[in-house]
Amino acid sequence: MPGLRIIGTARAKAGVFSFVVDGIHAHDLGTILDHEGVAIRAGHHCAMPLMERYGVAATARASFAAYNTCEEVDALFNGIERARKLFGRAN
Amino acid sequence: MSDLRELYQEVIFDHNRRPRNFGKLASANRTAEGFNALCGDRLTLYLEIADDKIQNVMFEGSGCAISTASASLLTETLKGKSLKEAEALFQSFHKMVTEDDAPVPEDMGKLTVLAGVREFPARVKCATLSWHTLQAALHGEHAPVSTE
Repeated sequence: MPGLRIIGTARAKAGVFSFVVDGIHAHDLGTILDHEGVAIRAGHHCAMPLMERYGVAATARASFAAYNTCEEVDALFNGIERARKLFGRAN
Repeated sequence: MSDLRELYQEVIFDHNRRPRNFGKLASANRTAEGFNALCGDRLTLYLEIADDKIQNVMFEGSGCAISTASASLLTETLKGKSLKEAEALFQSFHKMVTEDDAPVPEDMGKLTVLAGVREFPARVKCATLSWHTLQAALHGEHAPVSTE
């Protein structure tokens, strides 16, 4: 997805991924995804020094577990696309 | 659930993309800082006050669309207002975004685009950060303000 950057790309990582989307603050993303039925966390995640280390104001963070389905991954993807459209960041 | 468009109106996108009165005001004689540590929104508000009137007001900082648009609209609205009018606007604005049943005031101009925030309790703090920072600046409080 253009404009999406994953923060934290260790090879062996848990199913929790933090990301930022160009031009859309994590909190705006959180509200829009919430509206689409997708719950993510947004903000500093009680880790402000890490945010400074990565040079980001805040990140969005989605968590996957064994029970999540591919449809739910699609819902997340579509929700981010919706946010990008709303913010004029996608065609 | 409430319509997202109630929250994200075109005016809000416009002020988020092109914040008005953005930057440091060299002639400021009052400043205050607002910082929501949990979400990361931060802003500094600069006011030039003379003759009991806000002669000029600017802000700088970074945050979500709601907090940026709110700060931008604040500066646009407050320029030229008396301190008494600024206080009254703070009260009306606060009521508008926090009370579910409060009628949306007719005399608030563009600020009414933020009325939709009341339907999104998690975002009220974004809209009010700049306004509480204004209060701190007007009342000479030096500690950074938070609305979290």
